[in-house]
Amino acid sequence: MNLYTGSVLHVDLCAGTAHQRPLRREWLRDYWGGWGLAARYYQEHSTPGCDALAPENPVVIMTGPLCGTLVPLSARFCLMSKSPHNGTVFESNAGGAFGPELKFSGFDGIVITGKAERPVYLSITNGHAELRDASSLWGLGIFETEDRLQKLTGGAKTLSIGPAGENLVTFSCIGTEAYRQLGRGGTGALFGSKNLKAIACKGSGGVRVADMKAFMAVMTQAKNESLLTGDNLWAKSDGTPVLVDLTNEMGIHPTRNFTYGVNTEKAALGSDTMKAARAGERACWSCPMACGKFTRIDGAEVEGPEYETLCLAGSNCGVNDLAAVTRFNRVCDDLGLDTISTGATIGLAMDMAGKGGHDFGLRFGETEQYLAVVEEMARLSTDRGRDLALGVKRLAAKYDARDLAVESKGMEFPAYDPRGNHGMGLAYATSERGACHLRAFTIFAEDPFDHESLARGVVAAQNLNAIKWAMCICDFWGTVTTGYLAEQLAAGLGETVTAEELDQAGERIWNLLRLLNAREGFTAGDDTLPKKILSQALRGGPHEGRTLTSEDLAEMKSIYYAARGWDDTATPAAAKLAALGLEPMLATEVRHA
Amino acid sequence: MPRILVAMPEKCTGCGRCQAACSAAHEGLFAPSLARLGVENFPFLGRSVPSVCFHCANPDCMAACPEGAISHDENGTVLVHAAKCTGCGACAEACPWGQIRLGADDVAVKCDLCGGEPGCVSECHSGALVFQEPDKDLRKLRGMQMKERCANGSPEGKRAELARRLVGAGA
Repeated sequence: MNLYTGSVLHVDLCAGTAHQRPLRREWLRDYWGGWGLAARYYQEHSTPGCDALAPENPVVIMTGPLCGTLVPLSARFCLMSKSPHNGTVFESNAGGAFGPELKFSGFDGIVITGKAERPVYLSITNGHAELRDASSLWGLGIFETEDRLQKLTGGAKTLSIGPAGENLVTFSCIGTEAYRQLGRGGTGALFGSKNLKAIACKGSGGVRVADMKAFMAVMTQAKNESLLTGDNLWAKSDGTPVLVDLTNEMGIHPTRNFTYGVNTEKAALGSDTMKAARAGERACWSCPMACGKFTRIDGAEVEGPEYETLCLAGSNCGVNDLAAVTRFNRVCDDLGLDTISTGATIGLAMDMAGKGGHDFGLRFGETEQYLAVVEEMARLSTDRGRDLALGVKRLAAKYDARDLAVESKGMEFPAYDPRGNHGMGLAYATSERGACHLRAFTIFAEDPFDHESLARGVVAAQNLNAIKWAMCICDFWGTVTTGYLAEQLAAGLGETVTAEELDQAGERIWNLLRLLNAREGFTAGDDTLPKKILSQALRGGPHEGRTLTSEDLAEMKSIYYAARGWDDTATPAAAKLAALGLEPMLATEVRHA
Repeated sequence: MPRILVAMPEKCTGCGRCQAACSAAHEGLFAPSLARLGVENFPFLGRSVPSVCFHCANPDCMAACPEGAISHDENGTVLVHAAKCTGCGACAEACPWGQIRLGADDVAVKCDLCGGEPGCVSECHSGALVFQEPDKDLRKLRGMQMKERCANGSPEGKRAELARRLVGAGA
């Protein structure tokens, strides 16, 4: 089969089996791969209302059709499931080399259900898969787990969890290649709940295309004329730390638990400081950009820190110290904690103490306890560690600090304050997994307060990103178009593919996610922002005194739902379902839920 | 002066585009395991090591071949004459850097510099693979790599061993 391997691995951890089944080809032209295909597989194998940490909650891992080829930035892979952090369906994706290796080993994806009796890891080699005892790995951090798996398997690419995932921390991650993660939403706890310590994958196969000459010609032209141009080269030269300066200039840089929009000491965490500490550059498989900047400072090293970490664990905790943030980042990566949610929760705890609330011994700008508490959170080893492991929403609820909590649908905000760019507020409120910057990203909008154009922009970006993530193309190819993707797929598949059908697939995927969340009980009322954002003015910088009121949000939501063709319950109306060809079975299931 | 292909590990980002390009050009599909050059990644250390055929002046593979199936062309490129190869594997055993192996149909395969325009170099965006007339520094770098002779194991094993030695990651 061209581009795809044509096989999916189905693992039942209760039965201890791993079987190869044919890829559901009838779904490909509607959902394509990655996020889209994973969502369709998730819908097929899940039971509405199941507990995220129950054995029956499926975990779907999926690659894209271009993964494993020379198409740049196409090597990501995704995980789709229900989140133990907030109960939404959610997607998380990571780079590195695991995705291509999975295809080279003969599988487009993996569907995992059940729970093993004892810790196991899944070993995949060239079409063959088996579950192996992982008792000796349980309890180890991700770095050592990876090292041991390398030796056990002779150089397999791996996904693994650390203590945070084993302890079911709901914002724990799955790690790969030491410093890369399936972040947000608690992927680590999903593996932990299934007693699945790791997946190790090794393959010597390849990805075929219908017409190699045409495929290479399309790839080369897009690489030279679209990717390696001024709009994208920041990733190669600076990586994400370039956003520290940019978001400060824009006045949307979360500082001290989302109180200020600028950090007056931003230089300590900015691009120039990062460049001075740069020890190397790292790339995902097939990527010419190498945005992963390897940092070595004051005896600490990590690939990163990325912008979100520099902000949530830096500015937002008042920690203007690159060495401390680098240490924080490395510890999170090893233990398997999401740096955004971990940083945001510590920032909240610091804010609570400063405002006379519960005192966890954490203060803005003080690094000793800030670094110590990370391990306590992952290992649940102290009272405060267990408290902070609840995440922002549940920690605030427990200690009556809801006014200080910054989350949407229970997901901690990423590093863009929506009071200085209302589009980000709508993007957070309507994202399927709660506050997320990877669904729509309006910070470059001409007018950050023009609700009409922002709402339409969010719809368009969500649809485009849905198909982009279905192709597992990296966010950082900002100029990629469905026109190009159609041409590349056509050369690879040897079939006609149009931009229009990809555009429609993006919209279909977004609507399917909406239906899946509705099935879990999420409504228009959950498309909201926290009290702190809706009622307190932003301080400092160009947007000093700006708010994003309930009325602002309501206006944007109204434009957004109408533009989406959703009814008054904020779910796809019948006409929209019909236009997208979404299975009537699925719609019925949702309405009756 | 003929140009030479040199791997510069300190510049490698580990993307593997070189291997994908190599397998696409020679095998017609994207399969890094079939590439005629190696890339070993050490993500924890933030390092990667590409390894290429040195096209030696006195190649071990050529000396080991009982059929005379390996020879230099006029540019010094070491080439396999498939028609003469019997698939005995002596060349693969002899190369200390794992740069020649038995391919499909048990015929030895190795880097042929794509006839003078190496596809791996075209796809390397970090400057970790260069194909040029050598200066003093390039010769020195290549000489240092050639000193790391790995005696035992499969071609893949020898590439990995070479990479571990060059990155100082131990055995």
